[in-house]
Amino acid sequence: MNRTATTVQISSFKDFLIFMRSELKPKGKILTPFNLITGSIILLGALLILYRFFAGLGSVVHSSSEYPWGIWIGFIVMVGVAFAGGAYVTAFIVYVLRGEKYHSIVRMAVLNGFLAYVFYAGAILLDLGRWWNIANPLIGNRFGVNSVLFLVAWHFLLYMLAQLVEISPAFAEWLGLKKARKFLSSLTLGAVIVGITLSTLHQSGLGALFLMAKWKIHPLWYTEFIPLLFFVSSIYAGLAVVIFIGTISFRVFEKDRIDEEYKAAWDDIVIDLGKACAVTMFVYFFLQVLVLIHGKNWPLLNTGMGYWYLAELVGLLLLPGFLFSWGVRSGNPAPIRIAAVLTMLGVIINRVDYSIIAYKWYLPLSERYIPTVMEVVITLAIVFTMVWVFRWIVNRVPILKKPPQWAIEQEREEEGVERVVAYGPQLGVTMADGGSSIKREKKTR
Amino acid sequence: MGIDRRTFLKGLGTGAALAAPGCFSFPGKLEAAGPAANKEFMGVLVDTTRCVGCRTCEQACAEAHNLPAPDLNDATVFEKTRQTTETQWAVVNGFKTEKGELFAKKQCMHCNQPGCVAACPVKAMEKREEGPVTWDTNCIGCRYCMVSCPFDIPKFEHHSAAPKLQKCNLCWERLSKGEKPACVEACPAEALAFGPRRELIEEANRRIYKNSGEYFPHIYGEYEAGGTSYLYLSSVPFEKIGFRTDLGITAYPEYTKGFLYSVPVILLLWPAFLSGISAITKRKDEVRSKEGGKL
Amino acid sequence: MEGFTYIDIFATKGIEYLLVISGLLFFAVFWRYLSRPALAVYREYANVVPALSNWFHLPPEGIYFHQGHSWARPEGDNVVSVGIDDFAQKLVGKIEAIKFPPVGARIAQGEKAWSLQAGSKSIDMLSPVDGEILDINESLLSSPEAVGKDPYGESWLMKVKAPRVSANLKNLLSGELAGKWMEGVREKLLARMNYNLGAVSQDGGVPVDGIARNLDRERWDEIAKEFFLVS
Repeated sequence: MNRTATTVQISSFKDFLIFMRSELKPKGKILTPFNLITGSIILLGALLILYRFFAGLGSVVHSSSEYPWGIWIGFIVMVGVAFAGGAYVTAFIVYVLRGEKYHSIVRMAVLNGFLAYVFYAGAILLDLGRWWNIANPLIGNRFGVNSVLFLVAWHFLLYMLAQLVEISPAFAEWLGLKKARKFLSSLTLGAVIVGITLSTLHQSGLGALFLMAKWKIHPLWYTEFIPLLFFVSSIYAGLAVVIFIGTISFRVFEKDRIDEEYKAAWDDIVIDLGKACAVTMFVYFFLQVLVLIHGKNWPLLNTGMGYWYLAELVGLLLLPGFLFSWGVRSGNPAPIRIAAVLTMLGVIINRVDYSIIAYKWYLPLSERYIPTVMEVVITLAIVFTMVWVFRWIVNRVPILKKPPQWAIEQEREEEGVERVVAYGPQLGVTMADGGSSIKREKKTR
Repeated sequence: MGIDRRTFLKGLGTGAALAAPGCFSFPGKLEAAGPAANKEFMGVLVDTTRCVGCRTCEQACAEAHNLPAPDLNDATVFEKTRQTTETQWAVVNGFKTEKGELFAKKQCMHCNQPGCVAACPVKAMEKREEGPVTWDTNCIGCRYCMVSCPFDIPKFEHHSAAPKLQKCNLCWERLSKGEKPACVEACPAEALAFGPRRELIEEANRRIYKNSGEYFPHIYGEYEAGGTSYLYLSSVPFEKIGFRTDLGITAYPEYTKGFLYSVPVILLLWPAFLSGISAITKRKDEVRSKEGGKL
Repeated sequence: MEGFTYIDIFATKGIEYLLVISGLLFFAVFWRYLSRPALAVYREYANVVPALSNWFHLPPEGIYFHQGHSWARPEGDNVVSVGIDDFAQKLVGKIEAIKFPPVGARIAQGEKAWSLQAGSKSIDMLSPVDGEILDINESLLSSPEAVGKDPYGESWLMKVKAPRVSANLKNLLSGELAGKWMEGVREKLLARMNYNLGAVSQDGGVPVDGIARNLDRERWDEIAKEFFLVS
């Protein structure tokens, strides 16, 4: 049986506080193995973060002048943002292309994207050496507009706001705030369009950050087309993550957090997402070949780094691409799920290549950057904290379950109003006198 | 801007008094009481044929900027090629070549179009009109300048809780007072010359021409990475004394130009396209459901 | 880069163009490959179209159809049998319950009269005549799924006293007109099926779950409502 959320009545701030206090109580078992392991890492990470702020970046990070950026930028930010690409792609499909079939997953994808940006882009704060000056690029008077990083920082901020607007109706539904929901809903399409535009630029912008490191990055990876490659790969990376997180979520969450129809529709959606991934990866493969030819770099394929490049290309691009296609063709979601994981691995390695592996590849191992255990613990702590927040929200807010009845009706009403407005002339409305006389079409009896 | 006769003759006289065979020295003192009035780039010409590896420049630099003094008696420093560090803005490296042991001073090149300046999101790295590239404390410590520098110069104080980016600033504070950079002033072999970049290049060309065979016929820094304010002369090809010769002549910020120029375009085009598609699909949706309701 | 020798900066352009053209050709092939299941279905679909007319039983004489897929059959003496047609039943599939109005209630032509419960969804249907309900088919209360057994005969829904039956019948379809209307409805259904894999079963049989549910698992009730003219 499907149960829609019961409407909460909040009529004052005090009500809100009382409500939040009750909501803070965990909804499931507290001492599960998952909670214990991730919880202790989160705790440890928090302590290390405190230590980092008092003792300086080098106290926690493998400091090297040769490698200014380590796994916090190279992995958390670069990979995390690519993985959050599912938000803008699904928002595009559902709100711009009006693919209603995928409505069930758009909230999950956008929530995941929003949290990813808050946590992962927020991890930048951790990595900044002089983080107390961070207000500068935002409200300061010395805007480095010539900098790609300035653009990326601003876009991150604005995009977080856009995603917040996109996901806010779900929170309004949870809190029973009907007027707020109506208002926020009306902003959705605008937020989505802004979000897609911003995403295009900052996904490619993350790649553009490497453009000035010309001779430091191995020629098989460095190209003037890095921004384009990053943008295209963010599409299939995001969709692969949606498949991954969706599959886990539908299995892991309690029955009353998930709408049965959403769950039933999931396998079908996985196949469609798989198709989108297959096509995007196909295009990306040809882009890679184009870049290879354009840079005249094919002789380099016969070197150590060349083999690594080929291994990546074949094992983590072509292989998942093939698995996606096979799954689509045979209507079987299983190879698609495997392909999604391989794709995610491929994107991780690709992004880490630019900042760590293919960056100054010529240095001997002793001078290469290898993250410290502390860095890894902090990284995991950030990821797990995000998972905990995601879980807390999905357990309460209508993300994977249907909105409450009043919200569904509100939405229908909005569509109905739009229909009348759009069909004024056909419905016999005469607007010449500015009047609003609407004659509804008589139904034949 | 020209050098007036008095200064020139003074310099000539000083140069003549030196033992350096066959070359004349370049006048060192600036004309005006501050950086040049018409704001052309100032620069430093490093003539490695004159450098004896005494490292006095390193010491003077450390003194002028409150950095730890280098140990001049330590001869092991020349055993391998050093980089600048978070406590040392300039280092002298030694190289064994067919023309004997040669030395080259390494520090920020003060590019005409610096990658670090283009990278900095808060304008902490700034290219002054007079030439020097300076760092300021409004820096957020993102280290993007380190990624973007073709010479790998800026050094980050990893182990400080209030880290700075350390690199040569062409003695910017001294220039404002009308003084020369500390290293230039300290060099006993007159290997370093300070002046307008244009004149330094003229002088360098003059030296190459006048002493054919002595110099490798190339001024390093004239066009590398779009041109730098620190210029080098050498008697051997520059790779032999630790210079990268594969940097290209494009200024490094140019590599991000394509992307940055397209940003406003996409910000204009995408919303228009997306709104258009949205309107069309909405219409299609309406039409479909309308037709569905009618028989 | 000294400017002393010729460097062709567009040297690879020719190969790039060839690569892109071959890439586009491969893409066309790849796209077809991914869409294959749909094409296979299309061929079967082409075979099924004639079979579609066999899905729906031909109604016997004397049945008058409302465009919302309910029917009325005058029994004489202003009493009319009312039911749902074969198309409606096959569209909705397994009906779990039928919510009847109480005996004695008044219904009006073109107004909501009863509703079908399937899954968790409830679909209203419109009455074909004006009148007062005399009797409801008790057997459908206990076994509502039997409504598909004999939609025009034993599986009648209710008996209605319709004082204005002749006027009502004028608004309903019968005979040739009804036949044409059914064809139109079938075409509309085909258009919606749109090569959908699930809607067509291999042997051409009608899915037990109902055609609508196979078209769109989530919004099948909306599809049904559109055919039944209920808003």
